[in-house]
Amino acid sequence: MGKEVEMRDAEAPGKDKEGKGQEGGAGKKGEEPAAPPPPPKPLAVLRANAALIEKAVAQKETRTLFGRVLRHTAAVRRRLTAADLVAFLEGALPAGSPALQQLVPAVKQAGESAMEDGDAANGSAAEEAPSQPPPLPSSLPEVEIYAYLLALMFLIDRKQYEQAQAVAGSAVERLSGLNRRTLDVLGARIYSYLSLAHERLGSLASIRSSLLGLHRTAVLRHDELGAETLLNLLLRSYLAENLYDQAERLRAKAQRPEASRSMQQQCRYLYYLGRIRAVQLEYSEAKDCLQQAARKAPTSAVGFRVAVQKWLVLVRLLLGEVPDRTEFTAPDWAQQLAPYFDVTQAVRSGDLSSFARVAAEHDAQFRADRTHNLIVRLRHSVIRAGLRRISLAYSRISLADVAAKLGLPSVRDTESIVAKAIRDGGIEGVLDHEAGVLQAARPADIYATDEPQAAFHARIAFCMDVHNEAVKAMRYGEGGGAVQEFEDATALREKQEQELAAALEEDDDF
Amino acid sequence: MADLSAASAGLAQLQGAFGKGDLTACKQLLSRLKLELTKLPALPPVYEQSANAQQQLVLARQALELAVYLSVKQGDEAAFERNYAQLRVYYADARALLPPSDQEASLTALNLLRLLVQNRIAEFHTELEVVPQQVLASPEVGQVVELEQWLMEGAYNKVLDARARAANEYWHHFLDQLSSTVRDEVASCSERAYASLTLADAQALLMLGSQAEAEAYAKQHGWEVSNGRITFKPAADKEGGAGGAPLPSLEIISHCLNYAREVERIV
Repeated sequence: MGKEVEMRDAEAPGKDKEGKGQEGGAGKKGEEPAAPPPPPKPLAVLRANAALIEKAVAQKETRTLFGRVLRHTAAVRRRLTAADLVAFLEGALPAGSPALQQLVPAVKQAGESAMEDGDAANGSAAEEAPSQPPPLPSSLPEVEIYAYLLALMFLIDRKQYEQAQAVAGSAVERLSGLNRRTLDVLGARIYSYLSLAHERLGSLASIRSSLLGLHRTAVLRHDELGAETLLNLLLRSYLAENLYDQAERLRAKAQRPEASRSMQQQCRYLYYLGRIRAVQLEYSEAKDCLQQAARKAPTSAVGFRVAVQKWLVLVRLLLGEVPDRTEFTAPDWAQQLAPYFDVTQAVRSGDLSSFARVAAEHDAQFRADRTHNLIVRLRHSVIRAGLRRISLAYSRISLADVAAKLGLPSVRDTESIVAKAIRDGGIEGVLDHEAGVLQAARPADIYATDEPQAAFHARIAFCMDVHNEAVKAMRYGEGGGAVQEFEDATALREKQEQELAAALEEDDDF
Repeated sequence: MADLSAASAGLAQLQGAFGKGDLTACKQLLSRLKLELTKLPALPPVYEQSANAQQQLVLARQALELAVYLSVKQGDEAAFERNYAQLRVYYADARALLPPSDQEASLTALNLLRLLVQNRIAEFHTELEVVPQQVLASPEVGQVVELEQWLMEGAYNKVLDARARAANEYWHHFLDQLSSTVRDEVASCSERAYASLTLADAQALLMLGSQAEAEAYAKQHGWEVSNGRITFKPAADKEGGAGGAPLPSLEIISHCLNYAREVERIV
């Protein structure tokens, strides 16, 4: 078995490249065709975005246009330089506004402290810009908040977390004075960067009460996206300190919209909920949540999916299921999941000593992942798995042999452990105390019971559920009454296809 | 700056009475001391900064620690929970403000034990996640964690032995409760796992004092006792039941109707 694993590992790098190549082709459409036509200048993109925002505000159409703005921004994010950003800020914000006065020095400073190699080229870009007349400064708060957002992204990319904290703080202050639904999308992003800046500096606990305040305001203003984002940020901040109790209390009391506004936020929520449930020993609910999170997460969010997968593996082991080998061998995470793969092997074989060895070997990793306590709980599953193997293999075995096979210290313990396993239905059999043997009952014919019917029913119910959910999602999608407007069936279908395409693209910039 | 003299005098009195084991006096002194504590501004949730803020916090923590011990001695679990909830703040939020307490490990262990005994396992685990690393490594907390594992696995004899190895006298109150729960667990396991047992073995398994006690226990559970053997009836019932289980016809009918309705909707 060990050899096989090694071979797979050796294969992995080759596969890895292939996989990445494919993924790059499929996942990042926006950046791929960059080679033939020169990529648009970041400054031009930003200006176009500002124009888009103005259009969106004028049309009161927030969803698709803002989605496009954020997508374009994500595409130029890596190439953005201080000079570009300053030029944009000076062009877009009215001269002398407090935002301009704060942002420009911050960006300049960050740009200087992280001197880039391609500065000469960037300089020329900035010089070139004035040749085309810059658009008139805009007084729209949306543009101002967008400027804040850009500066924040820039600072965080350059690891200037203190600056980012200050900028995010004033952006949030500005936001709290405004009550415009067109700001929701940008505001939610600002909140997450605020939290990120604090998390990187380890001061997450200090903004908890202000996040709670913001969440309350967002709920009162029916800012659904903001409320959802803030709830997730709060859960994240509680879970960062293992405060599962507080997290659960907040989660149980906070209002959530029925249909989530954003797939990303929903995934995060499911992940946090899954973790809370796992700690509370509600394994089947935890499994449902984590599995959904894993399925809904976009393929490009590798880090998130690895984190989900780690918890999912443990929860399934605790439920007595053994995850499939293929789940560990995906090239993206084979290496990161290796400790969990070892644990799975140990649990499957039901050997306490090898389990103890694996647990000790990867102890540091498990502590870093905060899964250490779940690993401790797994001991019980190891014993159960071992017992089940024994009871299937032997029709009559002495308890001393059982103890030796499982690696348990004393026969007396073994007897009561086996007795409990029989009571809980883990194994079938009868103990004979005087002779000190376990007499395994012949495994009952499972097809003579209701079990297959129940399993079949569960699957049918799942399919029905998927169908119903799909129907619901189609009929009551975004825009509520849109169905009546499109009498023409083809127009309706086109609209739906567009929405689907937009939704798929949105997933990419998770 | 707050005046500490009244509170520290109260604490000294309480410590004296507690040392003598005068529980009724302790109770009165404690409620008076708690009133005194409300006057200190450095305590949570205000955390007012002042020269003797740390002294105030330490004093309040000592008082509450005593209060928790006192509630165990009185066997008052509601009071335990209340006092511990107050004390927890000093171990969590105010942790950075004051020197570590030497009672922390044993009190944390005691609280975990309480949750375990009250069968609040989910809370037990959430609580365990918050326990800091160095406290988790202490022998007292380690014992409770082991105890929980034994309970989960079914190593009940170890659980019953635990009383002899208890970390301190305060554990006895909880462990006594635990052993009666565990005895019932053992009984329900034996019922399913054994066809029959001699009285002597049953007495050993259930950790009862004498055969007469075992016989009484067996009667209480409706087990048949003859010639010094206990025969468990439910085991026989179980085998008889598995063969002739009636078809769950109503359930099947309702499922089928449900499928038909759903399929109709789809078509």
